[in-house]
Amino acid sequence: MKQVKVILFNLILLAFSILTVVPFVWMLVSSFKPNSEIVKIGGSFLPDTFTIQNYINVQERFDFLRMFGNSLFVAVVVTGTVIYTSAIVGFALAKYTFKGREFIFGMILGTMMIPWAVTIIPRYDMIVNFGWLDSYIALILPSIFSGFGIFLLRQNIMTIPDDVIEAARMDGATEWYIFHRVILPMSRNAISSIAIFQFLWVWEDFLWPYLIINTQSKQLIAVGLKLFSGQYGTDYGGLFAATAISIIPVIIVYVTFQKRFIAGISGAAVKG
Amino acid sequence: MFKKLWISMLVLLSVLVACSGGGASNNLTKDETPDKGMEVFGEAVMFNPNKLVNDGEPITIELWTWGAEDVFQKQIDAYKEIYPNVDIKTVVNPWDEMWTKLPLALQGDDGPALFNIHNSQHDNLINFLAPYDIPLADLQADFSGVDAHIIDGDIHYFDIGIMTGSIFYNKVLWEEAGLTEEDIPHTWEEFALVAKQLTKKDDTGSIIQAGYNFNGDYQAMVLGLPYQQEDLLFSENGQNINYDSEARLAFTEYLHELYYEHEVGSPNFGDDSSQSFGNGQSAMVYKWGWFQGELNNNYPDIEWGVFQTPFITEEIPFAIDRYNGESTFGINKNAPSAEQEVAQDFVRFVLAGDDFSVDYALLNSTFPTKYAVANHAEILSNPVLSVLSENIDRYMWPGPFPAIIETVSGQVFQEIFYNRKDIESVLSQAQEDIENGMSQSKFISAEKNYLHYND
Repeated sequence: MKQVKVILFNLILLAFSILTVVPFVWMLVSSFKPNSEIVKIGGSFLPDTFTIQNYINVQERFDFLRMFGNSLFVAVVVTGTVIYTSAIVGFALAKYTFKGREFIFGMILGTMMIPWAVTIIPRYDMIVNFGWLDSYIALILPSIFSGFGIFLLRQNIMTIPDDVIEAARMDGATEWYIFHRVILPMSRNAISSIAIFQFLWVWEDFLWPYLIINTQSKQLIAVGLKLFSGQYGTDYGGLFAATAISIIPVIIVYVTFQKRFIAGISGAAVKG
Repeated sequence: MFKKLWISMLVLLSVLVACSGGGASNNLTKDETPDKGMEVFGEAVMFNPNKLVNDGEPITIELWTWGAEDVFQKQIDAYKEIYPNVDIKTVVNPWDEMWTKLPLALQGDDGPALFNIHNSQHDNLINFLAPYDIPLADLQADFSGVDAHIIDGDIHYFDIGIMTGSIFYNKVLWEEAGLTEEDIPHTWEEFALVAKQLTKKDDTGSIIQAGYNFNGDYQAMVLGLPYQQEDLLFSENGQNINYDSEARLAFTEYLHELYYEHEVGSPNFGDDSSQSFGNGQSAMVYKWGWFQGELNNNYPDIEWGVFQTPFITEEIPFAIDRYNGESTFGINKNAPSAEQEVAQDFVRFVLAGDDFSVDYALLNSTFPTKYAVANHAEILSNPVLSVLSENIDRYMWPGPFPAIIETVSGQVFQEIFYNRKDIESVLSQAQEDIENGMSQSKFISAEKNYLHYND
């Protein structure tokens, strides 16, 4: 009976996973079809006419690889910086006792409650006044601190016993050494979670890079994907090919961090 | 783990940088030759190339657009050939989002000096526009789309092309039904008969080929075709909607009869007439000029033809249909004066020549408003434009009316054709809904500018 239940449960999971994966596979397969086949009513799942023209076109029309590279650069820099700043602030909030600690933590949590859309106009004005329009500093600098990242790492670092830190201090370790050699390695699960979330957010972010960057050669991939939808129609083949390329780094990041991802999230959820 | 990831990301990044093309180099040279030895060209709007722009000093301006970059680039290249000290960088934006970014950018002096306008964004942009530095009379002499855009005696942009509706038909299905060119209908009565001939049903009576499919097109038709019965969309003062009218009722009843009495199509025969036509399932559709591009791009195997939208009688009506214009460039009044000067000169260059009007017209099958190119061989050889050319002065532009009118028209179609509600009461409700939606609107119709308004 128990075995039947397991099989049934797995079948349900299989059905859900098929539902989730099929549109993605369809997009991938369709990226090798000409547009006339994609919009064909009752067309076949696999291409009748196999073509890589969509992939060639996206590069020729938009220099798509440059946009891809731009996104990768910004996403890697922001993710790396956010991990470091979140860890260092989380460490201070979790392991040091000082006046106003809870207030600061409350303020940091408060930043997570404000919808980002509310801040976009003042942020834009600031960037214009700083003269940072059309530069990557405007994409990177406002993102280097993450309320979510600080929260997650503070919760995680709180689970590290104080005795470990005390032992390191007694062995003569400096605070700098403790942070880099003790705290960071012991926070891998939380760091993995932040890495996945932050990379995805930066990779998918459309509106902010679109507003800030004007030069086509500096533009990011999320904006490039939108260019396939025009006033009177959509170049589906181009859009599918570009999307297929654009998800490669996301898959790499997820596969790299997935083992520690769930542990990191659940670790933050149960500790107070 | 982390080291490996960073290294793989950096390697990927390096490969991408190596593979991608470099940024465009900006090789501007000082122009020291005012006299280019070139002829002045243009008819009323003239362009004299024999001068220096920006005193010959290098200058770069931006032109923001949502498409047509090839057409613009051709003009930019031609202009740069005359003035090697000038660079005009095109920045392509996504269509929907451009209207969020552009007004923000235009508030400061960092915004683009030139940008493409769509008249639906008139209210959003008009406060940022500098008037054209071209005499109004010259523009009026060369272009038909000017009068509706005069504000305090100035022109900030106007229609360079006219887009409107025609009937597209599938030539193969037409032939299969035993029809010839002689059978092209001129009246709505003839149209219904032809549509019936083109309709095919299976043994159960279900439609397998629609003679005429207007699913998704009702909004466009119902706001334009009632003009054939001298029925204006707005009241005489131009401010009040005239939606619940006899002509709109009669036209909607006619469409209703096509589906429910003549059974030439069905609201359940797919919700996208474009795709249905492209797949050879519908023999006739009403579409605006952009559809030619869609057919060429997505349905290259369909053999199609096009004919003028039928009339009530054989006589040419008061107006055949509504049109919407594709606009000329806007010039940013907040841009530095040197950039504005270049922008003004470039606009004059584009308008004085004929190439831009022709290329832009062919791009989306918009009929050019420039008189000089109305009979251009390439325009007349385009199937859509050649059909429109027959009575191009008989199309009406009501102005950039609020979006609520199209939105409610879409709901009208659903209420009548899906929910099967009474046509009169639905139109009456629509009138009320639009009146409420427009209560704060300052829109004034441009119908009075129609050439045959007083006929």
